[in-house]
Amino acid sequence: MICLGIESTAHTFGASLVDANDRILTNVNSTYRPPVGVGIHPRKASEHHATVADDIVRTALSTTDGSAIDPDIIAYAAGPGLGPCLRVGATVGRALSSFLKKPLVPVHHGVAHLDIAMSIAKARDPLAVLVSGGHTSILVHVGKKWRVYGETQDITLGNLLDMFGREARLPSPGGASVGREAMKGQNLIKLPYTVKGNDVAYSGLLTAAATLLRKQSNLADLCFSLQETAFSMLSEAVERSLVQTRRSEVLLAGGVAASPRLREMIGSVAEDHGSSFHPVPIEYSGDCGAQIACSGRLAFESGVKISISDSFVTPRWRMDEVDVPWIPRA
Amino acid sequence: MDTASLNSTLLHRGAEADLSLATIGPWRVVVKRRVRKEYRNPILDERIRHDRTISEASVIHEAKTAGARVPSIVGVDIENNAIVMTHLAGTVARECLDDMGKSEAQKLLRSIGEQIGLLHTAGIVHGDLTTSNVIVSPSGPPFIVDFGMSRRSIEAEDRGVDLHLLQRSIIASHRQNPSSMMNSMIRGYEEITGMKVASSTWRKAREIARRGRYFAIR
Repeated sequence: MICLGIESTAHTFGASLVDANDRILTNVNSTYRPPVGVGIHPRKASEHHATVADDIVRTALSTTDGSAIDPDIIAYAAGPGLGPCLRVGATVGRALSSFLKKPLVPVHHGVAHLDIAMSIAKARDPLAVLVSGGHTSILVHVGKKWRVYGETQDITLGNLLDMFGREARLPSPGGASVGREAMKGQNLIKLPYTVKGNDVAYSGLLTAAATLLRKQSNLADLCFSLQETAFSMLSEAVERSLVQTRRSEVLLAGGVAASPRLREMIGSVAEDHGSSFHPVPIEYSGDCGAQIACSGRLAFESGVKISISDSFVTPRWRMDEVDVPWIPRA
Repeated sequence: MDTASLNSTLLHRGAEADLSLATIGPWRVVVKRRVRKEYRNPILDERIRHDRTISEASVIHEAKTAGARVPSIVGVDIENNAIVMTHLAGTVARECLDDMGKSEAQKLLRSIGEQIGLLHTAGIVHGDLTTSNVIVSPSGPPFIVDFGMSRRSIEAEDRGVDLHLLQRSIIASHRQNPSSMMNSMIRGYEEITGMKVASSTWRKAREIARRGRYFAIR
């Protein structure tokens, strides 16, 4: 059984095939890059997706020798994300499902980030840390659902780094650019550190860092301090959650999971409490088709599918609203 | 007060501190030492540990004065980021709440509500209120512990965070019915704070819960 997954929640349009044994056969993605200093314009991103969709899906469906593979299931990212972008992926999914007469499966993009990370790590029932432009959440699976144990009360870690990166005129994605600058910094500048229980709040940190930037503070030191402060806040919240939930595995997933410094910090928290640490491989950390294919296959096996007439997109969709009965994984 | 020379045995490794047991004169005491975190930048690490040690010791003392069931401060060792306080006998609520029958659990939540009410009335917010930070006492009301994240505040927002965190810990770690538990808690809380403070705090708590990402209705 082969599942085609289609991702188009934000800046990336991707398509991927995953087989019944969780092997990623193909994974083809194209990311819309806004000009320096500008954020993602939803309409422009969706135009990018519509332009590349045909090529991406075609490439994902063909093997190395050029022959085409017919998928048995079509999975699409139904949310959360930018409405215009989501609709491109959903349209492609509906068209293929209808033409190939194959079942259509709606996938939650955040759940999918965790599913692919768990599949690759062979994690069973971890404390999950999801860090991206759309999510900053600490989750544990209880009953049928992911429960939010801690999260950001305002902007996400990805937002923080992207928005600061734009203020500093650094190229997108902000996380990678801020990380590169941070390697050159050494002096820790005092910035607001806001942890409320297991929650974090980043907006005060962003304002303070942006204000210092305008006052011509040293960019490298500022990036260094921003990264250290923001990651320490999250690490502290993760450590609290880990002590309270006593999970033996810690999973790190999502776009910001590509940061070497964050991997080091969360890894150190896990090690300190005797838990194994499973960061998602960097090539699958950012948004990609493979996460949707992987999650779509698991969902289909648990009986999830949707008729074309009901296949809406859901721009706002909480992780703790989705039934995820396939966890703990075997 | 120098705790380094104190003869103590490790009791519990928490998220940010080690708790160990010692004896000083007639008292069994707990030494809470904030340990260095490998992951954290050393300057940031020292600042956080130092600030929280001082603030925790003074808030606990203030809570005691306000009539809340909290440990008594025996001493503070600023050089080693350690607080010495009296040992409390009892069971952590996280461990025993699910073994209780419904009415016993409701009774416990009601007295937890009263304790939070006493803190809030005195202008103290806990900042990390989970069932792991409540000790059920065999004699008298439950104890509230771990004031590492607490602050002085009379804002409904900060009080709301406390109730929100407690509610979330009940939803995420317990099998008891969350709304029945929170109803009992609120009744005890309101008894101490009065209706006005109770309703503004509870309204904030619900608002904070909705602040998380991707709620369809805000």
